[in-house]
Amino acid sequence: MQRLDPKPGELLDRSRRVSFRFDGKTCEAHPGDTVASALLAAGVSIFSRSFKYHRPRGLLCVSGNCPNCLMNVNGTPNVRTCMQPVQDGDEVKSQHCWPSPRWDLLSLIERLDALMPVGFYYKTLIRPRLMWRLAEPVIRRLAGLGSLKHSNGKPPHYEHQHQHTEVAVAGGGATGMAAALAAAEAGAQVVLVESESELGGRLRSQSGPVVDPDTGAAVPGFELARGWARKVLDHPGIRVLTGSLAFGAYEGRLLSIARGNRLIHLRYDQLVAATGNHEYPLLFAGNDQPGVMLGSGVRKLLNLYRVRPGTRAAVVVADDEGLELALELHDAGVELSVVVDRRSDPSASPAAGRLADLGVHHLRASHPVAAQGRRRVEALRVATGPAEGVSNRQRVATYSCDLVCLCSPWSPAIELPRQEGGKARFDDCTNQHVCASLPAHVHAAGHLEGTRDLVSLLRQGRTAGLRAAAAVRPLGGDAARRLERLDRMDRQLREEARSGKAREEIPFPRPSPGGEKAFVCLCEDVTDKDVANAVQEGFREMELLKRYTTATMGPCQGKMCQMLLAGACARETGRTLHETGRTTSRPPVAPVSLGVLAGPHHHPVKLTPLHERHEAAGAKQMAMGEWMRPFSYGKPEEEWRAVRERVGVIDVSTLGKLEVQGRDAGKLLDLVYTHHFSNLKPGRIRYGVLCGEDGIILDDGTVSRLADDHFYITTTTGNISFVEQWMDWWAVVSGFCAHVTEITANFAAVNLAGPRARTVLSRLTGLDLSNESFRYMRCRTATVAGVPARLLRIGFVGETGWEIHVPASYGAYLWDTLLEAGADQGIVPFGVEAQRILRLEKKHFIVGQDTDALSNPIESNMGWVLKMDKPDFIGRQALRKARKEGAHNRLVGFVTSRRVQEGTAVVRDRQPVGRVTSARWIPHQDRCIGLAWVPDEDSADGSPILISHEGSLLPGRVHAAPFYDPKGARLRS
Amino acid sequence: MSRLFRFDPMWESHPLRDRYDVVVIGAGVHGLATAYYLARRGITDVAVLEKGYLGSGNSGRNTAILRANYRTPEAIPFYAESLALYEELSDDLDYNLLFSQQGHLTLAHTEASINGLRVRAEANRVMGVRSRIIGPAEIGRMVPALDTSSAPRYPIMAALYHAPGGIIRHDAVVWGYAHQASQLGVEVHAHTEVLDLGLQAGRIATVHTNRGTIKTGAVVNATSGWCSLIAAMAGVELPIVSHPLQACVTEPMEPLLDKVIVSANLHVYVNQTPRGEFVIGAEIDPYPSYHLGSTLPTLKSMAFHALELFPDLHQVKVLRQWGGICDMTPDYSPIIDEHPEVGGFFMDVGWGTYGFKAGPAGGKCLAELIATGRTPELIRPFRLTRFHENRLVGEKASAAVSH
Repeated sequence: MQRLDPKPGELLDRSRRVSFRFDGKTCEAHPGDTVASALLAAGVSIFSRSFKYHRPRGLLCVSGNCPNCLMNVNGTPNVRTCMQPVQDGDEVKSQHCWPSPRWDLLSLIERLDALMPVGFYYKTLIRPRLMWRLAEPVIRRLAGLGSLKHSNGKPPHYEHQHQHTEVAVAGGGATGMAAALAAAEAGAQVVLVESESELGGRLRSQSGPVVDPDTGAAVPGFELARGWARKVLDHPGIRVLTGSLAFGAYEGRLLSIARGNRLIHLRYDQLVAATGNHEYPLLFAGNDQPGVMLGSGVRKLLNLYRVRPGTRAAVVVADDEGLELALELHDAGVELSVVVDRRSDPSASPAAGRLADLGVHHLRASHPVAAQGRRRVEALRVATGPAEGVSNRQRVATYSCDLVCLCSPWSPAIELPRQEGGKARFDDCTNQHVCASLPAHVHAAGHLEGTRDLVSLLRQGRTAGLRAAAAVRPLGGDAARRLERLDRMDRQLREEARSGKAREEIPFPRPSPGGEKAFVCLCEDVTDKDVANAVQEGFREMELLKRYTTATMGPCQGKMCQMLLAGACARETGRTLHETGRTTSRPPVAPVSLGVLAGPHHHPVKLTPLHERHEAAGAKQMAMGEWMRPFSYGKPEEEWRAVRERVGVIDVSTLGKLEVQGRDAGKLLDLVYTHHFSNLKPGRIRYGVLCGEDGIILDDGTVSRLADDHFYITTTTGNISFVEQWMDWWAVVSGFCAHVTEITANFAAVNLAGPRARTVLSRLTGLDLSNESFRYMRCRTATVAGVPARLLRIGFVGETGWEIHVPASYGAYLWDTLLEAGADQGIVPFGVEAQRILRLEKKHFIVGQDTDALSNPIESNMGWVLKMDKPDFIGRQALRKARKEGAHNRLVGFVTSRRVQEGTAVVRDRQPVGRVTSARWIPHQDRCIGLAWVPDEDSADGSPILISHEGSLLPGRVHAAPFYDPKGARLRS
Repeated sequence: MSRLFRFDPMWESHPLRDRYDVVVIGAGVHGLATAYYLARRGITDVAVLEKGYLGSGNSGRNTAILRANYRTPEAIPFYAESLALYEELSDDLDYNLLFSQQGHLTLAHTEASINGLRVRAEANRVMGVRSRIIGPAEIGRMVPALDTSSAPRYPIMAALYHAPGGIIRHDAVVWGYAHQASQLGVEVHAHTEVLDLGLQAGRIATVHTNRGTIKTGAVVNATSGWCSLIAAMAGVELPIVSHPLQACVTEPMEPLLDKVIVSANLHVYVNQTPRGEFVIGAEIDPYPSYHLGSTLPTLKSMAFHALELFPDLHQVKVLRQWGGICDMTPDYSPIIDEHPEVGGFFMDVGWGTYGFKAGPAGGKCLAELIATGRTPELIRPFRLTRFHENRLVGEKASAAVSH
C-alpha cells in the first residue's frame, strides 16, 4: 500500500500533514484524507472483526455503507472511518476485537462454527433451564460492536431546525444537480441535499475523460462535476446542503435531514429523488476477505485519496466501465493478475483492446468462486463456464492477487420514494428494483431508475426538475415547451427500454460444498449456506429470512446484503426476484444518532410570578408537573395551624385559568361540565366537574360568571392544556359562539384563608367583605392594594377565604402587601403540604390523585354535581347507566390509628379490593386520616376496613363526614 | 443436539381444505398458542389463517417485554399465569426462545407516580407476584447507566422492581408455537386472507378467504390491529379504537443495560437485546389510525426521552423505526370470550399494548373455553358483556405507557 503521486481531482492537501493515533500507534495523513484512506496508506489492511465469527475485515465499499470500517474515533463508537475526515490529533481505536484487529483471540470462535449453524441458539441450551440462565449472560457479553465505556463526557450541542422549500432534491450527483438547476431556472425555490461533503456524486472520482452531453467536449469527470456544482452553488434559487443525510421521508411532505449535530425538518411541496445507487458485493467463498473491494471504492481510493489499494489485482467486471477501472489500476502501478468478465460475449471496446495489448488475462463468461488467503486475500479462484455451481463443464483456475476489485451489481437507493408510498418492483429490463406507483409529488430520476449513461441521467434529472417546478406553479413558455419535449422523449425512451433486451441476469452461484464461507450478510456473518438451511426450515420469504437469519438487520441496513439475500432466497425457492421482493424500507435510510434525533435538551421549568419571594423566604420547592411550587416554608404543621387558627396565604398561580366568552359560553359549559352554568347569575361561582363520554372524571375546578357572556374558569394545574383543547373541540363541533382563551400565565393568584382573612383583606380593599354582601361562592372584580383583582370566595382549605387573582406583574407586590397587612394578625405563607392536609380534613378530593381512569362522580360521592335533568352533557348517558346500576366501589374517608402510606391496598380475603389514595398523620389527634377506594358494601359510615401495611394488615374505619367542620360552617362564616 | 444439524421444515404446508373444526384467524402468538393448546387437548382439525407471513402482525412488532406486575386483581393472576407459561415455554416447545429473565424496572419521576407504583407493588405482593419499590441508590447500583442523579429535569425518584420480568425473542415464540402446533396436526396457512364470515341461524358457519371458502363451527378472532374489522364480518361491533404504537432499534453496542427500563412519566421504555441493540418504544400515538408507517415526531420523542434516562447513548445510532396497531378497549383490558349472540365466534382481542405478554395464557384459556364450553376463571373478568354491565377492569389507571 502506498501513496500515489499527486493527480488533478484528488482531495488531498499535500502541502500539509496531520498526525493521529490508531490503537496507540502514530500515523500520518494529509488534510483531505479520511481516517480509512490514511490507515490504508499507512499499510493497515484489517479494519475490523466481524460480528459473530470475528473474521478479519478490510475496506470494502469506501462509501459509508458497509460495516467493515467501523471504529471508535475520539470516543465516538461505530464511526464509518471511510467517510470521516481525518483531523490532527484524532484518537482512533479498533472495536470488537482483542487484543487487536490483526490478532484477535476471539476469532477462535470461528473454530466452533460447525456447532453454530443458522438459528443454532434456538435449538440448544434448552434443558435444563438453568443452562440458558447461565449461558445468556456470557453470550450477552460477547455481543455488540462499539463500546460506550469511553464515551466522551458531555454531549455536544444538538439542535433542530425547520426549513421550507418548494422543491426538495435528494442527491447531489449529476442527476440531482440537473434537476435542481432545471427546477430553479423554471422559477422554483429549490433545496438540494447531498450526503457527501461536496456535490458531484460518482463523477467526482472519475479522472478519465467524460463527454459533456451539453458541449460535446471530453473533460475529466471530476472537472465536469465541479463545473456543474459551481453553477448550482451560484444559482440564487438553490440552497445547497452538503454533508447532509436525507434519512427519512415522512407524512406531510417532510424530509428529515441529519447534518452534523443538527436535524433539519425540510417541508417541501415536490420531492425529486435522485439518490442514486450503491454497489454490493458478489457471492463467492471468502468474499469477505480483506483485499476484496468494490469497484466504486477502489475508484475513490485511486482518484480522491490517491492510495494504491493493492499491488496485484484480480478485477471482476460486468461492463466496460469495469474494464476502464482495471486500466486505471494498471496506470496506478497495480499489476493486473486477471480480469474476470461475467459477460459471456462482451462486444469489442477500446478498453478491452488496451487490456489485450497489455497482455492481461481477460476471461469471458467467468465468475469468482473463492477468494483464498489468511487475514488477507492471496489468490482468487475463477470458474469459466456456466454459472450454476462448479460443474464438470467449467474450468477453474487460481490467480494470485492481493486485491479483488468487484465491479459488482448496483442496487438503487429507493428507500425515500418507498417511504413516500412507492412500491418496489423488480424490473427485468434494468435488472434492478425500481419504484412503481409513486405519489404525484415524488419524482424519481437517475441511477435509482436503472439509468446509467450520462446523457439519460441529465435528461431524467431535468425532466424531474421541470415536472416538480410545474407542479408548484405554471411554467413560462420556454420552460413549458422544454418540459413537453422532455416528457415526450422520456415516455418514448422508457417505452423502448421496456421492449428492449433484458440485461444479463446476475448469477448466484451455489457455494461449493464444504468450501469456505460465502457471505450474504457481512454485518451479521450470515452465509449462503445459512440462507439455504433457513429456507429449508420453512423461512421461505424475505421478511421471515430476515428475522430468522438476521441478515439485513445490521448496521448496513441491507445496503450490502438485501439483494444477495433476495438472490439466494429466489434461488432456493425457485421463485423470480420479483416474486421474492425485498424487505420493507423503514426509516432512517442510514443510521442516525439518538443525540441528533433528540435535539437540544430543553425542558421548560415553569415558575410562578412569586417564585423569587418563595426562594427568599427559604421555601422548600417541589416539582408539580412542569411547575415548581413551595412544599413548605418551615414546618407544615405550623402552617396548618396558622390557617386553622389565624390566617395563611398560599400561591395558587399554577391553577389553570381559562376565559370563556361569547353568546353561547353558558351553553358550552352546560355541555362540558355536569352542572348547570347557563343559569348561574353573574357574580356567582359554581364548582364544576368535567367528565369524558364514559362518565369518568377528567378535571374539576371553579367556574365564575363575571358577566352574561364572560366566564372565568380554574382547572387543575396539570390539566389546563387538555381542558382548553377539550372545550375548544366541543365549542367547534357544537357550533357554539364561544371563545376559549388560556390565560394561566397572565394572572398571579393567591388564596388568603383563615378566621382572620377578612380582617387582613379589608385593610387592602374598599369592597364590603361582610358575609352578607360577599357570601361564599361569590365573585367580584375590585381593587386590592390598588391593583385590579378578581376575588373568588371559595374554600378549598375549609376556612373563610378568598382567591385573589391579579395581573401577573403585580403578583409579587400583592404578596408582599398581604404579608405586611396581616403581620399583626399572625399571617404566614403556607405551602402545598399544609394545603394537602387542610383539604384532606375537608375530604376535598384531588383529580388524578384520589380519582383514576375508572372514577365517576357517583362512586366518588359527588353525585350532587350531576344535573341529569339537563338535556345533555358529556358523559350523561354513561352516568345515567352507572346510576341505575349503582356503585361498585366508593371513595370514602377513613381513619386508622397508625400512619399509612398512599398507594397501599385495601384488602379483603387476601385480595386487593381497594386502595388508599390520600393519607396524612394528624399529630394532635393521634390518628391517620385519609381517602380510600373501597367496595360499596364496605362504604357505610363506621364500616371496618383492612389496610395492607408493611406486610401486615391494619384495621381502619370508614368515616363518612368530613374530618373537619362537617357542616361547612367555617368556610361560610 | 442432533436437531442442530437438521433443517426440517418448522411447519408443513398444506392445501386449504373446505372444512375444519376450528378456524383461527391470525398466526401471531395468540392464534398459534390457541391452536397449540387446542391440539394438546386433542382438537387437531384446526386451521390457522394468516393474511401475511407468520408473526407479521404485532407478534413481530412489539418490544418483546414480559412482566406480570399489573395493577388489578383481575389482571395480576392472568399475567402471572402467562409469565409462568413463558418460563416453561422453551422446554415445552423444545425451542429456545431466549427468554432473558433479567428484571423489569418501572421508574417514577413524580410523587404521584410513586403512589401509582405502590398501588401495584401492594396488589402484587398480596397476590404473590414479586414486585417491590426501590429508591434511586438501589436503582443506580442495579443499572449504572441510568442517570439517577438529581440533574435531570425529572429526576428518578423510585422504581417498581419486578424481578421475574424480562425480554424474549418474540419471533421465536411464534415459530415455536407454529412448529409444535404443526407437529400435532394443526395446519398453518400463511398468505390466506379472510374476506368475510358467514353466519347460519346466528352461528358461525363459513369463512371466506382469498383461497376459498371453509365450513366450520368455530372461528377464533386472534387478530390485532384489525380485530374490529374481522368482528364486523360477523356482524359484531367491538368497543375498540385502534392506535398506532411505534418503536425503534439501534445498532448493536457492547452490553450496557441488562434490565428492562420503563418510564411512564417520560413515555418511553428501553431494553438492550442479547445481540446488543437498544430497543426503544413509545406510548401509543395520540390519534386513532390503521397506518403502519412511522412518524418523525415519535422518533424524536423516543430519542429525547431515552437520552433523559441514558445520557451516554447520545452517539448510538438508530437503524430502524416501525409501527404496530394497538386495539384499545375503554378499560385497556382485553376481550377474551365467545360472543354471547354469535355462537362459535370466539374473540381473543383488544389487547392494547399488552398482547404479547398475554399470548400463552390467552391461548391456553381460550383453548379451554373452546374445548370445554366453560369459561376459565382467569378470563372471566375479560368477558365482552362487562362493558354493558359497567364492570370495567381498572388497568387503564396504571398509566398509558406500561410495557
